[in-house]
Amino acid sequence: MKESLLEILCCPLDKHDLELEDAEYATDDDGDEADEIVAGVLVCSECGERYPIEDGIPNLLPPDMREETPA
Amino acid sequence: MADQQDRPDACDVDRRVAVRDTYDRIATHFASTREYAWPEVESFVETHAGADGTGAVSREDAVGLDLGCGNCRHAELLAPYCERVVGLDVSRGLLETGRERAREREFDVALCQGDAARLPLSSDTVDIAVYVATLHHLPTRRARRVSLDELARVLDPDGRAVVSVWSTAHETFDETEGFDTTVDWTLPGGETVDRFYHIYAPDEFEAELAASALEVVDWEVSSGNCYATVAGSRV
Repeated sequence: MKESLLEILCCPLDKHDLELEDAEYATDDDGDEADEIVAGVLVCSECGERYPIEDGIPNLLPPDMREETPA
Repeated sequence: MADQQDRPDACDVDRRVAVRDTYDRIATHFASTREYAWPEVESFVETHAGADGTGAVSREDAVGLDLGCGNCRHAELLAPYCERVVGLDVSRGLLETGRERAREREFDVALCQGDAARLPLSSDTVDIAVYVATLHHLPTRRARRVSLDELARVLDPDGRAVVSVWSTAHETFDETEGFDTTVDWTLPGGETVDRFYHIYAPDEFEAELAASALEVVDWEVSSGNCYATVAGSRV
């Protein structure tokens, strides 16, 4: 995900802003950091709920729908 | 934290997780059968995203939303008109098929995993949205109502969305009133996976929209689906 997406994302539970932590950025062909975030955590500024960015896609499922279920 | 009364009960969540798991399981095959955009959605996008400056998408920084995006075939339609398009789906497996399609066809989509009844998007941020063939997978009436209100919240009052559901008007069904059912998905090996649907009666869907915070702009039944063009909440 691009960092600018944070302008419109919010916590699915209380709709407060999210803050980016532990961001890892993709590198472009020259080895420079690109603006694409491949991993990190989005943290609600109000309730503190943490949402992972998994292989570049933020998982903003509420925690009760996020857990893995047995196959 | 969110108000307790907005929170779904555990049973409801279990069933929504089951829908997520179903689509994760069938994602690749499902996406391969969903190559083309629906003509009703193409027509909606042409009408409301028109480049003449009068459509919903007249801002330079317009935001599009494909809610229940699956393989992003409708996000692809929105992409030329928007600065960014968000593709949101409950199924990570489907989002991967969307990523693949965006790469192959060279359009940009910001993928996001989320729940259609608890959207992770700020209020009034979306100018144009497509919410097709998704609402009917939410397993309770309450979740479906909350989801429509959530669409109203994120959609700008001047924005437009098309919402479609499968309906009793389809030739498959003899029923005249809305009902819950499961519809099998058959994988290439012959294995079947069932998917929850609420099949709406057209007047039932119309009443649900009227009871929601959405403003209904237009309405039609086409090919057994109900389509509504709606605007965001002015409250």
